[in-house]
Amino acid sequence: MSESGSDGGKWLDAHYDPVAGLYTFSSCVDLADLSGDGESRLVVGDLGCGSYSMKLKVYRGTVLMSESTLLDLPAGLVAFFMDLHEPRIPAVAVASGPCIYVYKNLRPYFKFTLPGLEVNTLEQDVWQQVKEGQIDPLTLKEMLEGIRKKANIPLSVRSTRFLSLETSDMDAFVQLHNQQPIRRQTVITCIGTLKKSTADEDGVSCLVIGTESCDVYVLDPEAFIILSKMLLPAAPITMDVTGQFDVEFRITVACRNGNIYVLRRESDKPKYCIELSSHPVGLVRVGKNVVVGCTDESLQGFTQKGKKLWRIILPAPVITMAAMDLPTRGFQGVLVGLANCEVQLYRDKNLLSTFKTPNVVTSICFGRYGREDGTLIMTTKGGGLMMKILKRTAVFDDRDSAPGPPLAQSVRLNVPKKTKLYVDQTLRERENGLTMHRAFQMDLSRLRLATAKAYVKALESSLTPMSSSLSEPIKMNAVVQGLGPSFKLTLNIQNTAACRPIMNLAISFLYDESLYRMRNPYMRIPLLVPGLIYPVETFVECTSDKGISDIIKVFILHEGQSSPLLTAHINMPVSEGLMLS
Amino acid sequence: MGLFDKLAGWLGLKKEVNVLCLGLDNSGKTTIINHLKPSNAQMQDIVPTIGFSIEKFKTSSLSFTVFDMSGQGRYRNLWEHYYKEGQAIIFVIDSADKLRMVVAKEELDTLLNHPDIKHRRIPILFFANKMDVRDALSSVKVSQLLCLDNIKDKPWHICATNALKGEGLPEGVDWLQDQIKTMRT
Repeated sequence: MSESGSDGGKWLDAHYDPVAGLYTFSSCVDLADLSGDGESRLVVGDLGCGSYSMKLKVYRGTVLMSESTLLDLPAGLVAFFMDLHEPRIPAVAVASGPCIYVYKNLRPYFKFTLPGLEVNTLEQDVWQQVKEGQIDPLTLKEMLEGIRKKANIPLSVRSTRFLSLETSDMDAFVQLHNQQPIRRQTVITCIGTLKKSTADEDGVSCLVIGTESCDVYVLDPEAFIILSKMLLPAAPITMDVTGQFDVEFRITVACRNGNIYVLRRESDKPKYCIELSSHPVGLVRVGKNVVVGCTDESLQGFTQKGKKLWRIILPAPVITMAAMDLPTRGFQGVLVGLANCEVQLYRDKNLLSTFKTPNVVTSICFGRYGREDGTLIMTTKGGGLMMKILKRTAVFDDRDSAPGPPLAQSVRLNVPKKTKLYVDQTLRERENGLTMHRAFQMDLSRLRLATAKAYVKALESSLTPMSSSLSEPIKMNAVVQGLGPSFKLTLNIQNTAACRPIMNLAISFLYDESLYRMRNPYMRIPLLVPGLIYPVETFVECTSDKGISDIIKVFILHEGQSSPLLTAHINMPVSEGLMLS
Repeated sequence: MGLFDKLAGWLGLKKEVNVLCLGLDNSGKTTIINHLKPSNAQMQDIVPTIGFSIEKFKTSSLSFTVFDMSGQGRYRNLWEHYYKEGQAIIFVIDSADKLRMVVAKEELDTLLNHPDIKHRRIPILFFANKMDVRDALSSVKVSQLLCLDNIKDKPWHICATNALKGEGLPEGVDWLQDQIKTMRT
């Protein structure tokens, strides 16, 4: 039960029944106050397991209140107000196959069947002949196969079923069915509701249905006649409806060809089209934007005119999606159920909260349940039912909990106002830009020249601690140790040549003799093997007690040559102790 | 009890006690308070409380002033402003609402951890209400679900009640009265 995890304890685990036996999808779950007592019930179209035990189940609190058998697999379920009678109790519409079953007070009330589609006349003729006994089933099969290949109107379900039969079963099938006329039916793929004339919470709503034959119908809730019919380029899979039928409405439909179409009033063709890079799984409207979960593990945001706003990558494939709308707190978000047993909450592209579930969630529904406004109801792949309640104190901060740029980056700096001086400077810079640039370039060139001159001078007089001579590449660094008056001077000399040793070198020091006294101001250096560091040590004594220091110059010389190979200046520290003479 | 209290008792002046009545919406707080009032002051229709209402009733030795707080989610943040004044708490639970038992527990935990309540030894009386409903949980089960055993530093008591008929209410109020008396002496 305690699966709060990383969501920071925003949800209370109200109920979890892992063996509730509810197998359903988000499109077949709705919350509605079915008894008019102010307590919302959970209405579920249960797909059962297999081709039987489809049920319409109603939950109150944690218990199953009622269940009634459905005739066919439910494709969608909505609760809607179909009339203005008091008390205001919504009806439940269950779409299955080509029919919509309307339940009032949980009793079957009305059945609406979609109009049949156009039937192939050739097919009709053939069946007519069969009925009159003019042709036998084998000829029928041949003729139907011929029709199937040529005709642009597809065969009816009966003919395709007949073609799939074994020869032995054909007679019985023909005997059973040849009396009824041929019909071609489509099936409902998705269902939604559209307020008729008012935007009130309990206003009368029309049903909007999408069919396999790429049509979208708007049905009148009282007479169940088709108010409007619109045609899509592909079969719809899920839709979102907003607005009012009599005023202005917008039907956003995700289709099987990977596109999203937006239908408007006064147009039977899509007004806008969003072409997705992969197939849509779920579609949720948040405010004026549409959020789509795709099969390429992405979540994408679009404006209602189809402009792409953002796209984020999800950690796992999307299984289901639902809107999380909390008007009392002004919160709108999208709940996404993922294949890795996680449910994530997004506001725009920001991940606000994640929680783990014991099983993959197949349906999500958020809304008022019982007397609690923020209830999250989920069913799992294994048929479990899970209910969570949003804590009263839960706060979703806008910060993105996914890794990204830190918050400080978006904090605006407190930039002071532009002063008069600043404005004057800016003006001056704008007017004299060219001159200023030239002056700067001139100074830069001069600086470069001065640098180059100093460098050449240093090279010429071998003032650097690196030897520039190619035949005797030597590196030296000096360390002074001690507090004074006696210092230890260590010179680390290294031959940086690849393999040639260097011989016949000497070190000489130049210093102010009134300040320093050196034990041996001239030393010979042994043969320098390449790579090794040779420490050469000597002692310096400061003879002054006035607390002043000076530079000692070190020269490395080649025997027999007067110009040094390299030179180093050592800044001696101030002697801190008095010389003991 | 001091001499003055005894004197006051003889004279019919009773000690005033402020009691907070808390609990989720639709748990029966107003109905319980209504039932405790003298019969001539009782209301016929109980409607959801907005904000809070102040009710008074008397028992054999005390005069209660009850702050009947609204339990609706949007008014629950008002509760904490009255914690300071309360000398006792009545917490009402809808025993038939299993789904929202976690919400009741959450609100109780918030109450017990509030700085105005945490370090005071004030008595808490729990009414496991709606015992007449068919699927109602027993008072033992309610106290288990709310983890009442974890309340160590405050006297508490739970009674199963049916506020429509008034069953179980006198028992609870007697306990509360005893607790308040022992607290004062």
